[in-house]
Amino acid sequence: MTMEKILPKKSFAPWVKKLAGFEVYAPVEKDGVWIYEAVEDLKEISPSYPNTVQAPKKIIFPQTETLFEFDTDEEGQPTLTETLPGKKDRVIFGVRPCDARAATLTDIVFGGTINDPYYQARREKTVLVGLTCNHPPSPNCFCPSVGGSPHSREGLDILMTDLGDRYVVDAVTEKGEKLLSKAKNLFTKPTDRDRRELATAFTDSEQRIERSLRDANQLPGKLKKMFESPFWDEKALGCIRCGICTYLCPACHCFDLTDELTSASPPKGRRIRTWDTCQFPDFTMHSSGHNPRPDRASRLRQRLNHKFQYFVEHHGEFQCTGCGRCISRCPVSIDIIDILEEVHDHES
Amino acid sequence: MSPNAYLPKLAKIVSIKEEVGGVRPIKTFRMRFVGDNGFSHQCGQCAMLSVFGTGESMISISSSPLQKDYLQFSILKTGRVTTELHELKEGDVIGIRGPYGNTFPVEEWKGKNLIIIGGGIGIAPVWSVLHTALGNREDYGELSLFYGSRTSADLVYSEELEELKGKMNLHLSVDSEEEGWDGFVGFVPANVLDKKPSPENTIAVTCGPPIMIKFVIANLKQLGFEDEQIYTTVENKMKCGIGKCGRCNIGKHYVCIHGPVYSWAELKKLPQEY
Ligand code: SF4
Ligand code: SF4
Ligand code: FES
Repeated sequence: MTMEKILPKKSFAPWVKKLAGFEVYAPVEKDGVWIYEAVEDLKEISPSYPNTVQAPKKIIFPQTETLFEFDTDEEGQPTLTETLPGKKDRVIFGVRPCDARAATLTDIVFGGTINDPYYQARREKTVLVGLTCNHPPSPNCFCPSVGGSPHSREGLDILMTDLGDRYVVDAVTEKGEKLLSKAKNLFTKPTDRDRRELATAFTDSEQRIERSLRDANQLPGKLKKMFESPFWDEKALGCIRCGICTYLCPACHCFDLTDELTSASPPKGRRIRTWDTCQFPDFTMHSSGHNPRPDRASRLRQRLNHKFQYFVEHHGEFQCTGCGRCISRCPVSIDIIDILEEVHDHES
Repeated sequence: MSPNAYLPKLAKIVSIKEEVGGVRPIKTFRMRFVGDNGFSHQCGQCAMLSVFGTGESMISISSSPLQKDYLQFSILKTGRVTTELHELKEGDVIGIRGPYGNTFPVEEWKGKNLIIIGGGIGIAPVWSVLHTALGNREDYGELSLFYGSRTSADLVYSEELEELKGKMNLHLSVDSEEEGWDGFVGFVPANVLDKKPSPENTIAVTCGPPIMIKFVIANLKQLGFEDEQIYTTVENKMKCGIGKCGRCNIGKHYVCIHGPVYSWAELKKLPQEY
């Protein structure tokens, strides 16, 4: 589809106003960090917000959600009530292209032959409006190495590019097109100058990325050969098992299912799903106490293997979109780019 | 849209049998779906049992698919959910979702001899194979069961084992000398080596503690079994059962989908992550 239009910056707020019925999310600064939040009155998108601490993933796949409620009567007969979400239309502005690509990866996990109705209900009702990263929002960005780019449209419904006094707005999907049609008169056709400036913005955005993964396509094969290597012990030594790397990752999807009681007898409560991580020691622990991934080494290996080997073997994609969060936020500076660089030189 | 995979179906406990007492008790539960929205399973598959308010646990279905009246689960009391299950009474209602996982290729095995080798609670997943072979007796050749546990009091299905005498080659064992025990004394792998079953046109299916499986496989190999003739099941911690929660994997395999049944030829290629 991709039909570019021009939106003067002063028309941004009027466009958002036209989106009645939508819950609007955008990156906002709160207590010194940037996060995605529902906003009442969105006037502008900051031209230079850094990488948000959490990915917008949490809007579609929240950290905690109720799957169903259960209630038991006096005879002990339980009744289950499904609590499917997604009645509200939502639009997220300012989505970074890497986070949007990550949504295409969680789509794979939560779709397939057995779909996940909770994820899908929210996903279908959510419109992702991206913003080209004219400047990389993190010094650890490396999206081009894993198949993305700072202006990638993948996973987005609309891509916006900031050209100073105006945006180039590109509807990628029908969902995106619909959003533009709510305020047709605010958008104009691009001129040759607009197109030229857009092309320059794209090239510049790519050139400003500082970090990269070497020969990413060779990683699955290399990782496969070094499963048993003491390499992992050495690399994981500093890990304090906080799980930050995975909780902040836009592509990670692991979760736990637990019951929460609101009244003990007869049992009444809810089954909830919460994010979980392969970096926690009890993630894989059997009830016998046996643990197939008992140490930090096996857990770091799992994180990298899942992203750069298993997912590739199953779906032909890295399960990493290069957002850099796991690198920037790891309290002990475990850096997957550095580790994967060494993987290339590892003698199996 | 397909039905919500996380929503359990309700099932009533129709019978509970105490198989093993002591500190590691085992009970066998037979369950019937409430209403007619149940599911049918195949040999080797598992189901997620829910005790509402406590949580879920993945348990292998020990009844044969030929048994249409109930689903049977033999459950060792070990974690939070299995402890709650052990507290339940006949008539209580729990949740079941599934069935999950791949299956023993019992159709492919038609015309072959079957040797089933179990240790302790590991008899449960292979019990469905045994009963399927017994139910379709003319489809299979010779049937043998090697089964052992620490003491005779730890044998699951002891009454049924009595009835099986004469219907198949039954090789029971206990780990150490015991008064009144006329079966084999020693570990299950040693019993297998002692009886020397022939690999000729035979499939061996083994399930039990990992250490037992390891030695059973070594001994079967010694007797001339090929990797392709040996099957086992693996366990890993599970939450979703549908390849989404990301915790049951062995390398790139999700045990809840690609397992739990593996031939040794397949399993030995996977990393030791179970
Ligand atoms: S963020 Fe760093 S320290 Fe924390 S679990 Fe991940 S690798 Fe380990
Ligand atoms: S693995 Fe790290 S860099 Fe890659 S998408 Fe996840 S958080 Fe971002
Ligand atoms: S149990 Fe969730 S992925 Fe297998």
